Amino acid sequence: MAGSTVTRVRRQLPTSPWLFAAPGLVIAGAFVLYPFVSTVVNAFTDRRTLVPGDFVGLANFRELLHDDMFWIGLRNSTLYVLGVVPALVILPLLLALLVQKNIPGVTFFRSAFYTPVVASIVVVGLIWVWLLDERGLVNSLLETVGAGRVGFLSDQWLLLLSAMTVTVWKGLGYYMIIYLAALANVPRELHEAAAVDGAGPVRRFLSVTVPAVRSTMVLVAALSSVAAFKVFSEVYLLAGPSGGPAGEDTTLVMLVQRTGTGLSGRVGYASAISVVVFVVTVALMLLVLRADRREDS
Amino acid sequence: MRISRRVLAAAAAAVVVLPLSACGSGDGGGGSTDASGRIQGDITFQTWNLRANFKGYFEDLIAEFEKKHPGTDVKWIDQPAEGYADKISADAAGGTLPDVVNVSPDLVAPLAEAGLALDLDKAAGQYEKEYLPGAWAGHRIPGMSGTYAFPWYLNTGPLFYNKSLFEEAGLDAGRPPRTYDDLFDAALRMAESSDGKVATLANVPTVEDFGRYGVPLMNKEGTAFTFNDAKGVELLAEYKELYDAKALDPQALTATPESSGKKFLTEAVAMNPGSALDLGNFKKQAPNLYKNIGITDQITSTGHVNMYVMGVMVNSRSRQKPAAVAFAHFVTDAEHQMSFAKKVAIFPSTAGSLDDPYFTEEDGTDETRVRVAAAQSLKTAVNYTPVLFSEQMKTELRNAVARALQGKESPQEALDNAVKACDRLLQQQG
Repeated sequence: MAGSTVTRVRRQLPTSPWLFAAPGLVIAGAFVLYPFVSTVVNAFTDRRTLVPGDFVGLANFRELLHDDMFWIGLRNSTLYVLGVVPALVILPLLLALLVQKNIPGVTFFRSAFYTPVVASIVVVGLIWVWLLDERGLVNSLLETVGAGRVGFLSDQWLLLLSAMTVTVWKGLGYYMIIYLAALANVPRELHEAAAVDGAGPVRRFLSVTVPAVRSTMVLVAALSSVAAFKVFSEVYLLAGPSGGPAGEDTTLVMLVQRTGTGLSGRVGYASAISVVVFVVTVALMLLVLRADRREDS
Repeated sequence: MRISRRVLAAAAAAVVVLPLSACGSGDGGGGSTDASGRIQGDITFQTWNLRANFKGYFEDLIAEFEKKHPGTDVKWIDQPAEGYADKISADAAGGTLPDVVNVSPDLVAPLAEAGLALDLDKAAGQYEKEYLPGAWAGHRIPGMSGTYAFPWYLNTGPLFYNKSLFEEAGLDAGRPPRTYDDLFDAALRMAESSDGKVATLANVPTVEDFGRYGVPLMNKEGTAFTFNDAKGVELLAEYKELYDAKALDPQALTATPESSGKKFLTEAVAMNPGSALDLGNFKKQAPNLYKNIGITDQITSTGHVNMYVMGVMVNSRSRQKPAAVAFAHFVTDAEHQMSFAKKVAIFPSTAGSLDDPYFTEEDGTDETRVRVAAAQSLKTAVNYTPVLFSEQMKTELRNAVARALQGKESPQEALDNAVKACDRLLQQQG
């Protein structure tokens, strides 16, 4: 009797995990795997929104090489990573150090810094448009102090910089929370020992805090670089659907949206751009993780 | 219950192969054009951002149709204005396009090419004589035979201007510009007198502006764009002069109709296109502006203003074609277009409707003045937007205009590049 029960359990064991995983697998298959594979397949076709299209091999990728807008998108997405990631690695850490201590009123500041994270990106975008408009608050202040108006939303580079500022402003609170959790695990004794050895606050930060939270910094760098390369909303809201003056602020994901949607959308071509975005983001992740491993060794 | 590796492998292969099969889906056929038979069954009717203001009108309209044709049931869906084309494309691609759909001619073109719009010349040709000839022809697609939507309402927005800004610039507020030459002169004077602080316009020229300036937009066959001719280059060069003089708002290169409307509302720009509906907005949101509002016709150098055309399309794959065609005709017939026009500032596309006293007699108010003037101009108005001009093409033109205004390319180079890009997109559309 006992033997047959064991046999039955053994026989059922391989099935049970699959049954438990089934709902997740079905959802992942339908909403992650299927769209992904579908995108890769479409990248090799001339499919349009209402026309199934034919297999065209690497034609879409060849066309990408000669598409000025693709290179503009690649440039802007790359610049976005370079501009946003260092700020999102360092500033939230400094912010976390400021609000780490349990002093009266610190909870208010923690909540205040976190508020942009939970705010809708559309609302955030609208607020920043009002602030940075030619007749917005920032320009009015600049005019009051005697400086001229600045074309934050009409100059190609200032527009990109403004969008980066919005991304950093919105992301600070999120990464601050991650750093707060990491900082809570830094042994207090290390700081005390460094202080006994005569290390000042800057020295303690560089020699104790930074090494202790280094793996968290790598995580933040990886997460923010992938998010930055795939940026859409901030630039779209500030630069408008045209992607800034002459489309010069278009990012790769904006290009995917513009090319692949609508009744005449070029789904095949947009899929090819998506494949490039995927490859670059994977490469970015690998690059960050490899740099981390090298640092470890 | 053990799941073998073979089963798992087969499932994985199915997941990979399924999308491949999707590439070959869709027959591209348009189905039968026979809409004869008994008017019955359930149909869906989709409108374009009309529920908020006209819920009662459409509910009454549907109830009247269902009463007239027992056995029919019309389900009304309304979609927001934002992303309307994307919603239709998702429905069309997914096979869930409603039976009767509110469309504009440029939305009909790709649907007709994909065989999803019913050819009304074949299915409902008997109704053609009820509509203005130009309006019926408005939903014909170059390179295809047939008409793919019932004409619905027409519109031609007036141009609003700020009288006090005109007077401050030393311009005659009683004689606003009517042609592009007048406009350019007035705009440069306004920029000069305000030291570049007040712009006259907040938008870069669109394809309609090129049309109203007298630029030929496409060849007769509808196979290539032609807006890079000397006239087009001349228009762009004039706009470049305006931009350099700050007679064009500095943010015009990234403006949307909404953002330029706000600029006009805050009196940062002196002129803006709109519709009679905007008068109510001005009264509520900007009373100071409302006191100084001037209303004039659209700027045109051809003598013909631009006309916006709305249509009602029947899904060629509808299972209830007789009911769908009957309902689309019912919505757009003379009686119902007239009753709709009396609820909102639009104009009927049915023959003879514009001769109704409602569109010919003024009662001294601004509303009737706008209505009568617009109805008058509609008689010779032209829909300048080519039906084959897709959203992607609009972006190409807009970017080319921006490059020219910024001085990165000459107007000729910019328009040549835009025409090249639009022609390529046209060929890819098939």
